Amino acid sequence: MTPETLDTLKLCGIVILLAPLAGAILAGALGPRLLRSHAHWPAILGVGAAFAGAVVIFTQMRGVTEGATTALLPVYDWISIGTNSIFRVEFLIDPLTSVMLLTVTGVSLLVVIYSRDYMREHDHPERGYERFFAFLALFVFSMCALVLGGNFLLLYLGWEAVGLCSYLLIGFYYGRPAAAAAAKKAFLVNRVGDFGFGLGIFLIYLTFGTLEYGAVFELVQQGLTGTGQALSDGRITTIALLLLCGACGKSAQLPLHVWLPDAMEGPSPVSALIHAATMVTAGVYMIARCGAIFTASATAMTVVAVIGSVTALFAATIALTQTDMKRILAYSTISQLGYMVLGVGVYAADSAVFHLFTHAFFKALLFLGAGSVMHAMGGIIDVRQFGGLKRILPWTFRTFVIGSLALAGFPLLSGFFSKDEIIHHALQAHPILGIMGLVTALLTAFYTFRMVFLAFAGPERIPEGVHAHESGKWMLAPLFVLSIGAIGAGYLGVAGKPFHTFLAPVFEHTFTAANPAAHGAAHGAAEAAHPSFWAHYGLMILSGALSIIGIAAAYVLYVQQNWIPGLVKATFPRVHKMFHNKYFVDEIYDAGLVSPARNAGRVCVGLDDYLIDGLVWLATAIPRAFGYLVRTFQSGLLQGYGLSMVAGIAVVVVWVLWA
Amino acid sequence: MIDAMDSQILTLIIFSPLIGAMALLLARKGDDAGVRGGAMFFSLVTLALTILALVLFTGQSSDDVPDQARFLLSARADWIGGETEGAVDIGYRVGVDGISIWLLVLTAFLSPLAIWSSFTAIKTRVREYYILLLLLEVGLLGVFCATDLLLFYVFFEFTLVPLYFLIGIWGGAERQRAANKFFIYTLAGSVLTFAGVIYLGYYTYTVNGVFTLRLDVLTDMGQGGLIPLNVQWWLFLAFAAGFAIKVPLFPFHTWLPLAHTEAPTAGSVILAGVLLKLGTYGFCRLSIPILPDAAFALAPVVAVAAIVGIIYTALAAWVQRDIKKLVAYSSVSHLGFCMLGLFSLKIAGVSGGVLYMVNHGLSTGALFLIVGCIYERYHTREFDKIGGLARKMPWLTFFLVFFTLSSIGLPGLNGFVGEFLVLLGAATSGSTKDGFAPGPLGYGYVIPAALGIILGAVYMLHMCARVLFGPLKEPPNTPDTSSGLSKDLTRREIAILVPIALCCVWLGVYPRTLLGDFETAIKRNILMGPASVTQVDHPLPPDAVEPIPEEAPADRAEEVVKLDTRETLSRAITPTRPSSDAPAFLAASRVEHPADMEMRFRGCACTDLCTHGGRTADSWRVGQQ
Repeated sequence: MTPETLDTLKLCGIVILLAPLAGAILAGALGPRLLRSHAHWPAILGVGAAFAGAVVIFTQMRGVTEGATTALLPVYDWISIGTNSIFRVEFLIDPLTSVMLLTVTGVSLLVVIYSRDYMREHDHPERGYERFFAFLALFVFSMCALVLGGNFLLLYLGWEAVGLCSYLLIGFYYGRPAAAAAAKKAFLVNRVGDFGFGLGIFLIYLTFGTLEYGAVFELVQQGLTGTGQALSDGRITTIALLLLCGACGKSAQLPLHVWLPDAMEGPSPVSALIHAATMVTAGVYMIARCGAIFTASATAMTVVAVIGSVTALFAATIALTQTDMKRILAYSTISQLGYMVLGVGVYAADSAVFHLFTHAFFKALLFLGAGSVMHAMGGIIDVRQFGGLKRILPWTFRTFVIGSLALAGFPLLSGFFSKDEIIHHALQAHPILGIMGLVTALLTAFYTFRMVFLAFAGPERIPEGVHAHESGKWMLAPLFVLSIGAIGAGYLGVAGKPFHTFLAPVFEHTFTAANPAAHGAAHGAAEAAHPSFWAHYGLMILSGALSIIGIAAAYVLYVQQNWIPGLVKATFPRVHKMFHNKYFVDEIYDAGLVSPARNAGRVCVGLDDYLIDGLVWLATAIPRAFGYLVRTFQSGLLQGYGLSMVAGIAVVVVWVLWA
Repeated sequence: MIDAMDSQILTLIIFSPLIGAMALLLARKGDDAGVRGGAMFFSLVTLALTILALVLFTGQSSDDVPDQARFLLSARADWIGGETEGAVDIGYRVGVDGISIWLLVLTAFLSPLAIWSSFTAIKTRVREYYILLLLLEVGLLGVFCATDLLLFYVFFEFTLVPLYFLIGIWGGAERQRAANKFFIYTLAGSVLTFAGVIYLGYYTYTVNGVFTLRLDVLTDMGQGGLIPLNVQWWLFLAFAAGFAIKVPLFPFHTWLPLAHTEAPTAGSVILAGVLLKLGTYGFCRLSIPILPDAAFALAPVVAVAAIVGIIYTALAAWVQRDIKKLVAYSSVSHLGFCMLGLFSLKIAGVSGGVLYMVNHGLSTGALFLIVGCIYERYHTREFDKIGGLARKMPWLTFFLVFFTLSSIGLPGLNGFVGEFLVLLGAATSGSTKDGFAPGPLGYGYVIPAALGIILGAVYMLHMCARVLFGPLKEPPNTPDTSSGLSKDLTRREIAILVPIALCCVWLGVYPRTLLGDFETAIKRNILMGPASVTQVDHPLPPDAVEPIPEEAPADRAEEVVKLDTRETLSRAITPTRPSSDAPAFLAASRVEHPADMEMRFRGCACTDLCTHGGRTADSWRVGQQ
């Protein structure tokens, strides 16, 4: 890259960070008094500027035809100790960064625009209009910092900062105890993940003596530690698994998935942006970014793949029985994130990022659509309380169906291509995990259209006292844009695969090089060059068929023969109860971790008040007892003093005489 | 003129609040407004002088002179004995280095804010209250400036008196019990410290023939290995008795929650913000540099106590029902991190520990201020009685959430930098990458400490959720706005909190402002001995990592001793860098009586001045003989 390109990239990076930050500060500072109902403008402009910056970075990266596609751009020294431990604020810009930035800022911009009307009409007593936009812009800043950061410390900074924004936005309606509790839960569960993540970062520093991505990855690939010794398998596996802890927290993978469904207490635009399209994908991004570390340990890769596929299936089963539209979508997000994690775990990081990209469109679309429904239903989102909305909300209905088809993997929509790729790679690497992926695909189609049919099909049912109406143009416009993405984004991954080609340089030395399946394929190169029809399209046809079967089954069960679900529920009450109660994970955590810790706290207080203070009292009791003892002799009575004087003299005399 | 300023500025700083206190005595009875204004004025004068001192200090220390004195802006006056004649040399000596100057700034910065915060809260005995606050400031400033151990001790103990009265007179319901417990607890510990101080002076007398408590001389002796390990061991325990209670280090912390809960807001702010740092400062200024081998040997013990304390008090904080008590317990937990950093005996860890002192002063001080704001309005601090304040008090909510985030180490704010460096120091304590000898701790210490970070978030967010969020809950007839308060924070209260918040952001984004000064001070005064260590057994591959640059100035680089023993690393003895005004006897003793020194450490198979062996079990036994 030329120096001019580097300068442009650095400038864009700074704009991408500072514009939303400035937007956040302006919205927060001027909002309450000055801007009031115009408080969305700083956020829209700031995020818009960030999007423009991301577009410029993308075009610059596209323009790079030869040489390195990675730029490391130092900004200033942040924490420095001596000459050996310097932690900079620096940007790493490569195709992966560029794709992530486009996704993040693009979706953010649409969501901010959508929120202009949603937050205004969605009236609530906290008069938090400016607060909402300030937090949203702060989120964009944090997420961009996470993506742009050139070392693990900045990754951690972004990681915690997006967690904070998530906390603030989940708890946006702080008057509701459920919202306050969900916010706290999200932050704390993430902190548990970050515990491992932080330890992993310290172990990286301890092992390699640096936290800068490039330096660390190079050492890993050479198999050396920072002092030039051989890197042991155990060490690199430990590092990878510790980092994975962080990913499990942020991307809501088992066993740290519990916070995401509760996070739906936040406003719908927040669910769309943070808890579907962007923040929760940070874990996937991190694993993809640290490909060198993960691929260095086959054990870690297997763990990643297993966690991903199990989470995908697990969350899909829970989604089958939920009745809150946003919670169904939340479990489907967990499930789709499971696919992405499975993707990186089977060395298909480009497919995982591709799925991340397409998922951002259709899941944001679905959440915004659900928000539109909620908006129309006066804040009610439980599908048992309304139905048959397709005539009342025609545009929401149409866009929602597009999103659902994409999520369900309906042939030729975006989700179909990206999900199919991941399952394809999974079948090659771990056939069992691949089959689990296929089962999940079937369930996904089923629960998605269960939700669609319950909400939009059948006779019209509206909660009492609700004036149902279609949303305005500020809310519908983002839905249209996202619909286009949900339909079309998948085609970037077929026919020449421009998306994968763009990303290829990032992964060529890590996932691509380390992929055992690829080595196997190289042996049968002749076969690979001319695959038979079934080898090439068989899986596509199968997964497409599964999707259609799932949708058809949902149609039969929830539109035509809607007595069947009740019968199933009655026949297998235990299974239903287990799914419906999310496998009782929350209860297990509460009984196994939270309560014992609270009790330990009570024990500590007890120890303080009785044991330690008791010992202190005992220590002071000795001089005090002595004092009491001596006090009897200081009674002030002359006779007493006389007596003790005589006794003393007697003792002395006796002693002298005897001696 | 400027030179005179250099040498007098610290004295001016220390005693300017005293002048203020005396001026307040002249105030007419009942002129409360005048007293408040006067107290505020004098504390601001002190702040201005401190900033001037900071400027002068920066000017002096930026001259990169290798043989610079340990302490700058120093001044002295004879007190008992003298430098030139006699067997006793105890003096009024003040000076600052990169660590103490910033703690001085912290003290001078928090004091006016604490005074300002008391304007509405204190309604009785107003004059006495402000006089005591100013006297307290004198003691605190004095501790950070003192470079003579006796002077240090005098100021150290002096701080007890005003705070005793502040708690005992203006405190809560149980104020007298709290004041007594605080006073006796800390006094009991520091009496032992005093015994240690006297013995250290006596020990200098047996070595040099002069009873001196000069910090620079003592540091030279300690770093030069002139104090045998058994002596160091006992001295360390004696010092630790006073400092560990002051910090407070688990299990000597039980006085703190009570004292904090009962103290008036300003008392809590100063207590948490500065007074507790006297303990950590003592460890950092005395125990580690003067008793390096004992510090090394006992560091695991201290670290374990610190970690147990971190987790124990975090759990205890979580189940408190009183906001202030929760913050008080969180203080203990946080100072555990600080101790862990200091006893990693690494530049990163010690810098982190010192930065943690400053950070904790800012964020916990601010938290106490906010708790005070709540208490003034609602006359209660019980979770069960108040809740959902966010609806009513957006400003208070903003600040409480902000300082909570600072306190739980959100990256981008100050707490994170300190926490990161502390854990980095502890994790890399065993490595030699920073050019220092391996420290006593390691990665294993980081794991439980990091658990404390989760718990920190748990109890702080628990508090926020209870106090701020959920449905509004207020005791009857509140908020009490009778003394000129509004429902939400007043402009005065916001103006108190904003400067602290700005400092938090600044330290989070650009911590190098302080870290550079800390690093210089640590290399010069705290960990200087091990700086000249070289690694023998593991030559670094040239292409894998950059070699350790020789940071030592030329004169020290020559002293690097390459040992070819089995031990992979060991500390080489650095002849102490003579301070510019070092007394002749110290140099003389080394030159003229090498035989004596060898006699003293006879039996040790190492070099003539046995610090290297001082870390092995063998010489510990030798020392005991």
